[in-house]
Amino acid sequence: MEGSLNVIGYGISVIGAGIGVGIVFGMGMQAIARQPEARGPLQTNIYIGFALIEALALLGFVLAFAI
Amino acid sequence: MSADTLNLAAEGGGGLFTPGGPGFEAPSVGIFFPEAWSWGDYGAGSPYLGGITKYAVLLLVATALTLLFLWWTTRKQTKVPGRSQSIGEIFFLFIRTQISRPMMGVKGDKYLPLLISLFLFIFAMNIMGIIPFLQLPVPSNLSYPVGLALIVYITFIVVGIRAHGGVGKYLKSAVVPSGAPWWILPLLVPIEVISNFMIRPATHAIRVFATMFAGHLLLATFAAGGWYMFNPSAGPVFGTISVLFSGASLLAFILFTAFELVIMFLQAFVFTLLAALYIGEAQEAH
Repeated sequence: MEGSLNVIGYGISVIGAGIGVGIVFGMGMQAIARQPEARGPLQTNIYIGFALIEALALLGFVLAFAI
Repeated sequence: MSADTLNLAAEGGGGLFTPGGPGFEAPSVGIFFPEAWSWGDYGAGSPYLGGITKYAVLLLVATALTLLFLWWTTRKQTKVPGRSQSIGEIFFLFIRTQISRPMMGVKGDKYLPLLISLFLFIFAMNIMGIIPFLQLPVPSNLSYPVGLALIVYITFIVVGIRAHGGVGKYLKSAVVPSGAPWWILPLLVPIEVISNFMIRPATHAIRVFATMFAGHLLLATFAAGGWYMFNPSAGPVFGTISVLFSGASLLAFILFTAFELVIMFLQAFVFTLLAALYIGEAQEAH
């Protein structure tokens, strides 16, 4: 078998981002269920949080190719 | 299907269950570097005139799609909107209520043209990845999202300098968190500088690039896998199994294409949302 250890490292590092994105969306759904009229601002904030957490996974993605 | 057709189909792919057949070759990063079409010796060896790649053609197609949509929805403007104008208004209101107003308030309405063009253009570039026969999302080459992210970067810095009335004042508001005790500032200021002016534009560009890159690679893997496993001439039992395998791969390809469409929309949305967030943050006077 051939391959790069970077890929395994990226797979491990993505676990953290996966948990984070899950928490963001899960908590967001919960918040919307508790207060449906606040859906608009909540949704926007969910996506901002999602984008910020995703940045971590993306840095790993780039480093997996770069190093 | 006649036997000839089956043999023909098995010739191209069909490495599975063929003793000594070709091994499976997963699609490599090479699919993101299409060869350039050049005109003879013209521009050969020049870094700027190396010919036209598939990316450049698709970029023009995406631009044409964007312009066509905007032209079609604003062609005949009446007080009672017609069919095309309604679509344009729904889209406009979507951007305004979901992105512009929550991030920038009413005074951010003047940036709506920028946001609408950004969203439309990025979405048009993204869906190049799932249009049959084109099938290469333009942002899977890093240079295109970097260009767009640079536009947003320069915009929010200029907006911030204007809103605060000076470079120094803007830098102070962007880099020094208000309310922090003085002794923590040597630690906080470098972190803020790195995160606001270095990591921010980088992740802004890389976000859409990486998603399109990974998504396209995923689709290409499913397509290549389905093609590799399609081997109906391997005998009654193995032939059936291989066709079932390749059918599962085709099904996954279709499902992931639908999933990609959602992701493409989401990435265009997130890019525009973050652009609005950065501009809104910059124009807020503390």
